[in-house]
Amino acid sequence: MTPYRCSCPVDGLSWLSVLAPQKPDVFLTPPMPGSSVSGMVGLWPVSEWRCGQDGGREGLKEYCFSTPGPALGFLSYHAGFSGLGLSLPEPDFPAGVFRKYGVVLSPGSGARTVHIFAQNATLALHAERLLRGKRCFHAEIPELVSPVRASLDREAFEQRVRSAVEHILAGNVYQLNLSIRFETERPAGLESMSLFTQLMEVHPATFYALYYDSPFTILSTSPERFIKVCQGRVLSQPIKGTRLARTPLLAEVRALRASNKEDAELSMIVDLIRNDVSPHCEYGSVGVEGHKSVFEVDGLLQMYSNVTGRLRPGSTALDLLWDALPPGSVTGCPKKRAVEIIAGLEPHHREAYCGCLVAVHGPGDLDSSVAIRTAVVDENRSIFSFHAGSGIVVDSDPYTEYEETLAKAAKFLALGRRKRQ
Amino acid sequence: MRILMVDNKDSFTRNLEHLIVAASGSVPVIVPYATFFPEMVHGYDVTVLSPGPGHPDDYPGYKGLFGPGRPVLGICLGLQIINVHFGGAVDRLQGCIHGRISRFTLFGKEIEAARYHSLYLSQVAADLDVLAEFQGIPMAAKHKRLPVLGLQFHPESFLTPQGEGIIRDALQMLLSG
Repeated sequence: MTPYRCSCPVDGLSWLSVLAPQKPDVFLTPPMPGSSVSGMVGLWPVSEWRCGQDGGREGLKEYCFSTPGPALGFLSYHAGFSGLGLSLPEPDFPAGVFRKYGVVLSPGSGARTVHIFAQNATLALHAERLLRGKRCFHAEIPELVSPVRASLDREAFEQRVRSAVEHILAGNVYQLNLSIRFETERPAGLESMSLFTQLMEVHPATFYALYYDSPFTILSTSPERFIKVCQGRVLSQPIKGTRLARTPLLAEVRALRASNKEDAELSMIVDLIRNDVSPHCEYGSVGVEGHKSVFEVDGLLQMYSNVTGRLRPGSTALDLLWDALPPGSVTGCPKKRAVEIIAGLEPHHREAYCGCLVAVHGPGDLDSSVAIRTAVVDENRSIFSFHAGSGIVVDSDPYTEYEETLAKAAKFLALGRRKRQ
Repeated sequence: MRILMVDNKDSFTRNLEHLIVAASGSVPVIVPYATFFPEMVHGYDVTVLSPGPGHPDDYPGYKGLFGPGRPVLGICLGLQIINVHFGGAVDRLQGCIHGRISRFTLFGKEIEAARYHSLYLSQVAADLDVLAEFQGIPMAAKHKRLPVLGLQFHPESFLTPQGEGIIRDALQMLLSG
């Protein structure tokens, strides 16, 4: 982004802790089996774009591409409503925010260095001093002492699953995602960066993101890539199909891959994602690779596929991302009808959940995650909230879908149980 | 070839667009169902009705589309719209099927076809000939006299490996009269 770049030796990602007072925006993949550390951290924003003030997609493109340097941001679930031709009620939550920064930090390979990119030498020096500063130990994560309130209890959720199946039988949708919103009092002393880094150590996932937008802080621990565009090569990796990662693991993987229900669930979302990337991909370039691949995250086996393509001349990565909102793996199919039905079945708003976290590097380069396994701290209302959901198909068992939803919420629900165990 | 495709608010329409380009070499013009009117098809060689949610009764805008010299290809809901228009019935399919493959014969070839349908042609219109079926469920049908043809399955799915050839054969059948 500028001539002012240098590297600073570090050990792992402990340097994130010294940045906490600066409230950095973070989009990182921690070191995991199969993937090395990568991503970026933005410090000291120099500009900001907010959805709704600058004309949506065109405004965001203008913001990201008219000046050099990467941008970090998020788009909420409801940012995609207008593109679907829907005017559903929107929550009192930002539809999207992107920022550019005075300093961008990027972990080097092996997490032994941090590369510093700065707008000027003074900022670079300031960042380097910070990184060389005394490491903070993790602040204790306070227990969630207040009861966790769910927007749907078991009975209500199972009733909604039955309603979703009725919509499927009537031909309104093939698949429908249903979610529950959980919320509790924000415990005194909860420090977002400490929670972020501790979750990253205990529950590594591919897409950790931390984004401050006062009074909200979004804390995302997603295993799912939404859209990546690298030098015009498009990749989306929808996840569908979940099974507890019990031993013997290989037998569970085989069982997941052999399940007709899970197979159908993934296949229809793969077709949906193919559809959603196609408007901005060259004809004949959209393909599917590694169908029904399996990985483990949060104690769950998850099945996914790689949908690939080549960006069409005249389209940018942001055109593709914007027109694919909201991510199809968390709506259902056909998407427009699914989103309408979800609005009628869920008694809550999804807010940041089921939107996406995004790192934009240029017109042909970005990466983004689906904002699942994502929590939000609301400082004004002193609320800690998170959502979890499940894909409903015609042969879904309401009891099992509820259990799957709770399993996906487990890493946040466990915060309230740690000390009682 | 000039192709008009009407998008019935579906999430597979752009897959169908890419497949039509591969099969015909022509880029279809896509119009949303909400803005479609039958006179729009003048100037096009064929009109494609995309898949979509709901029952054919939810789509009254196609009244007036079908007639001599107006080739129409319907996919999934598109076939069901054709069937209801010509007097057939569409109802819920016991054991509805989504995202799964069935094998049957179409245009003289054994094919693997992706199926996504909760509804089916419970009574085939008298003017339609069934071209393919799977376990008694119509999978393709063509009007006896008019250039109107429909497919119940999804040739545009990645689970239908012969999709390009199927679209090519279907267009050829429609345009050859």
